[in-house]
Amino acid sequence: MTGSAALGDRLEQLCQEFAGLDVRDRLELLLEYAESLPPLPERFAALRQDESHRVPECQTPVYLFTELEDGRLRLHAEVAPEAPTVKGFVAVLRELVTGALPAEVATLDVDLLRRLGLVEALGMVRMRGLHAVFQRIRNEARRLAA
Amino acid sequence: MTTGYAHPEVLVSTEWVETHRQDPRVRIVESDEDVLLYHQGHIPGAVMIDWQRDLQHQVVRDYIDPRAFEELCASKGISNDTTVVFYGDKNNWWACYAFWTFKLFGHADCRVMNGGRKRWEAESRPMVREPEPQYPRGTYRAAAPDLSIRAFRDEVLAHARAGLPLIDVRSPGEYTGELLHMPDYPQEGALRGGHIPGAINVPWSKAVQEDGTFKSRAELEQLYFEQAGLPRQGQPVIAYCRIGERSSLTWFVLTYLLGLPRVKNYDGSWTEWGNLVGVPVAKGPEPGKAT
Repeated sequence: MTGSAALGDRLEQLCQEFAGLDVRDRLELLLEYAESLPPLPERFAALRQDESHRVPECQTPVYLFTELEDGRLRLHAEVAPEAPTVKGFVAVLRELVTGALPAEVATLDVDLLRRLGLVEALGMVRMRGLHAVFQRIRNEARRLAA
Repeated sequence: MTTGYAHPEVLVSTEWVETHRQDPRVRIVESDEDVLLYHQGHIPGAVMIDWQRDLQHQVVRDYIDPRAFEELCASKGISNDTTVVFYGDKNNWWACYAFWTFKLFGHADCRVMNGGRKRWEAESRPMVREPEPQYPRGTYRAAAPDLSIRAFRDEVLAHARAGLPLIDVRSPGEYTGELLHMPDYPQEGALRGGHIPGAINVPWSKAVQEDGTFKSRAELEQLYFEQAGLPRQGQPVIAYCRIGERSSLTWFVLTYLLGLPRVKNYDGSWTEWGNLVGVPVAKGPEPGKAT
């Protein structure tokens, strides 16, 4: 299977998994994702001092790190515990993009939040920080693909 | 409490909440910025009211109407005579927003748990990860919205032109107008940056201490009256921020902790003002003057 099909399938699967639930269960699932986000690997910890890894649109601290392994994307993150919504969304994105080709991630569907049913579950005003996280990952992927 | 607030009864301690959480006359309500926090763990017996999904109209930019508010209260087991205690994340900023909305519909007995989630957790008080508890339905009659605490744009313009006190509770960068063009997301802010002419800048967070509790009356007087120059009484005051959420905390502080009699929250705030055609805007650190 090509990388593209794998990412497309995963996206479809995640959208079904979330959007198929009622709002309450969707939030529970997002919380499960939040709790599954692994801690930031030690080698990135010191890099947090470099504010360029922080997503400034999020009010609580969110740090994102991307790298390539055999040409495939790896995403590492640290999100403040008082922001489980952002943490959950980062974990969903991590599940989605890990192992994908950066060029594919760079062109991911911008409508992702709506397709996952998160706009409906969280409300429009909460989308700004999440959009920023998503945008950041797409931009990083674009940079790595260049 | 020994802090000498103007209306000390509206603040309750974490200890008070722990001893009253099973009192049938009391309903504990959590309101957060991050909606998953309640699901992750909350005060046993607390219900959740979400500012965005529950209190705001889902189509029009406005609050729900009195009928929808009645239904919301009844479904959470709240009646007109229930003591409603709000608490939440971010130093109670959303708790104050919910408190303000309840006052808008005339709820008599509203309180805020001083210190919010942060203090409750810091004191290792009990939290449960359970579905929201169901209470017997309340009986509720909402009053017509109390517009003595809510300001609309035309009134704000007249207020600014009359040189009456306005307080902008956003961060200094938002006040001066330098923080507007968020990378990638200019469409989610306002088209113009700056502040309403004449407004003084006192970021909302200055009213709270590190542990999430409010500062003492003396410290608050120093902040708002001595430093910011708000009149101690008489003149009406309007507070605003970006969408009216942070300013509801300042409204709470000015009204209940300092006892100012005529304070309004302008919930349209900068996301309305900064997009309005033709209204005066001041840039930079000086308050400026409306013409």
